Amino acid sequence: MIDTNNDIALKATKISKYFNEPQKFQVLKEISFEVKKGEFLSLIGKSGSGKSTLLYVLSTMDTDFEGNLTMNGMDLTNKSQNELAKFRNEHIGFVFQFHYLLPEFSALDNVMLPALKLGKYSKEEIKKSAIEKLNILGIKDQANKLTSNLSGGQQQRVAIARALINNPAVIMGDEPTGNLDSKNSGIVFDIFKELASQYGQTIITVTHDDDFAANCDRVIELTDGRLL
Amino acid sequence: MRNPTNYKIALAHLTSRGKQTLVAVLSVTFGISMYVFMNSFMSGVNNAQTDLAFSTLAHIRIYNDLPEDNTNLMANLEDSNTVIHLRNPKVMQYTDGIKNSEAIIHSISTDEGITGIAPQLNINVFFRNGATELNGLLSGIDVQYENDLFGTAQYIIEGSWDNLKTRNDGIIMGAGLAQRLSLKLNDNATVITADNVSRNYKIVGIFKTTLGSIDNGKAFIKIGTARQLLSKNMGFVSDIQINVADYNKAPEIAQRLSAKTDYKVEPWQEANGQLEAANGLRDIIAISVSLTILMVAGFGIYNIMNMTVNEKIREIAILKAIGFDGGDIVQIFLTQSIIIGIIGDLAGLFLGYVVSNLIHLIPFKIANLETLPIAFDVWDFIMAFLFGLITTFIAGYLPARKASKLDPVEIIRS
Repeated sequence: MIDTNNDIALKATKISKYFNEPQKFQVLKEISFEVKKGEFLSLIGKSGSGKSTLLYVLSTMDTDFEGNLTMNGMDLTNKSQNELAKFRNEHIGFVFQFHYLLPEFSALDNVMLPALKLGKYSKEEIKKSAIEKLNILGIKDQANKLTSNLSGGQQQRVAIARALINNPAVIMGDEPTGNLDSKNSGIVFDIFKELASQYGQTIITVTHDDDFAANCDRVIELTDGRLL
Repeated sequence: MRNPTNYKIALAHLTSRGKQTLVAVLSVTFGISMYVFMNSFMSGVNNAQTDLAFSTLAHIRIYNDLPEDNTNLMANLEDSNTVIHLRNPKVMQYTDGIKNSEAIIHSISTDEGITGIAPQLNINVFFRNGATELNGLLSGIDVQYENDLFGTAQYIIEGSWDNLKTRNDGIIMGAGLAQRLSLKLNDNATVITADNVSRNYKIVGIFKTTLGSIDNGKAFIKIGTARQLLSKNMGFVSDIQINVADYNKAPEIAQRLSAKTDYKVEPWQEANGQLEAANGLRDIIAISVSLTILMVAGFGIYNIMNMTVNEKIREIAILKAIGFDGGDIVQIFLTQSIIIGIIGDLAGLFLGYVVSNLIHLIPFKIANLETLPIAFDVWDFIMAFLFGLITTFIAGYLPARKASKLDPVEIIRS
């Protein structure tokens, strides 16, 4: 199923999901929405509303759901794990609450990792583009430091650079500012805002932070597994 | 084709946890070196044992077998109406020994794989000195060939083996036999045959093999002298002893030779099953002990790799999130254990070689041994290397597969 509408980055159709433990429980109830290209979208909701669960379904990492998911015009339902891994590598960038960088590698190496995995460009080209991304995020001077020697805010910016390296269709953030102080939260938010407005980057984040959500292009709120 | 990035990550894991990597490498090294040492030691013991046995035993022996079954001579008479009455039947040996030994030796000497042939005329006799009378074996031998086959000259402790060449009435006696007969070098010994023929010989040498039964009951004379003693023709022998290049192949060669002669051709394994059994058992002990040690080393690696996987569980999740698939994860962790395996393996081969050589220096003066015996076999090293690789592969694959099956969502959300 090829989506002909080129303005749509992501389309979810009637997505439902159940948890079987401890007892059968419907977390997501027939959720349908579309995300336009270049849109900066926040998913909010109370704890247990299903917003993180929805994000992981959208991210293709959680495949145990009903409904239909299309990204960049490609149908992602019923694909094998390895196909999905390849798709994530090329089309989705992740920023998590905790940075999850490889501590043995330098900031630059961490940023280069998804591109090396993709294997589309030469090592030199990847290095050049990684330095470029670090420059956009204002941490070019930290490129050769081990990530374990960077501050929390710097690490999160390295993680964002890593998410950007393959020029993904969508960046997904799971509480990307959840573990940062207000100053660094502000920096990360500004970066996201800039990426969306200047580079046309589609961003979907789950957040608790009302200020963060209020300044996004669009906010989707979940209550008890339904969109408000 | 997999991504070289995987190797980079594997190497980063290995080097960032140097101590644990070293412990894993050492456990393989220890296992492999024990394998090499145990097998080299057992080979050494086997060789020493076999050498000792082959100091009196040839690889193949040709001799005149007695008729096999004389108990039912009338078995071929099928006519049930015939009444048979046999009174006082006796086993009668028509021929005794091998009469045409030259012809046989000539015909078998062309067979490849044979390294030496020695004719023998072995006679059961009484040795006498004054009132002392002992029975034993008098072996008529060819002075040159006998030594070529058994290296008998090296066991001479008094006199000289070559004295036999020049003295037709010379005899070389086991040390124990000479002592029990109260005889010394250059004394005369009397030999009495079953036919009550008595001869005097001069002792021109005394040997000591450390095998009691030989030293206490055997003497050598020239084969010609022995034929005279029995009044037999030239060419008469009781045994033809044959050595082959590879004594493990004796049965095959014996089978080939038996086609060329009517006499019994017997490989050493047939007559001395206990030697082969002992060798086999020692090999089994060596392999089972060293494989056990290797298995313990394998568990060590398994344990360490499992710890690595648990420690790196969040990294695995993020790698999967950014697009590394199950195969990549397996490769990352399997590469680590294979690197550990290969380094530990090679170090183990080297250590095993060094340890074996050190053990070889330890004095052990029993029988014909000077130091503890060690024998290296290329196959032991190849097997050790393969077993090491297989063990580390299995020990590394299980945690790697576990890592590849982790659900990243569960890890990231917890």
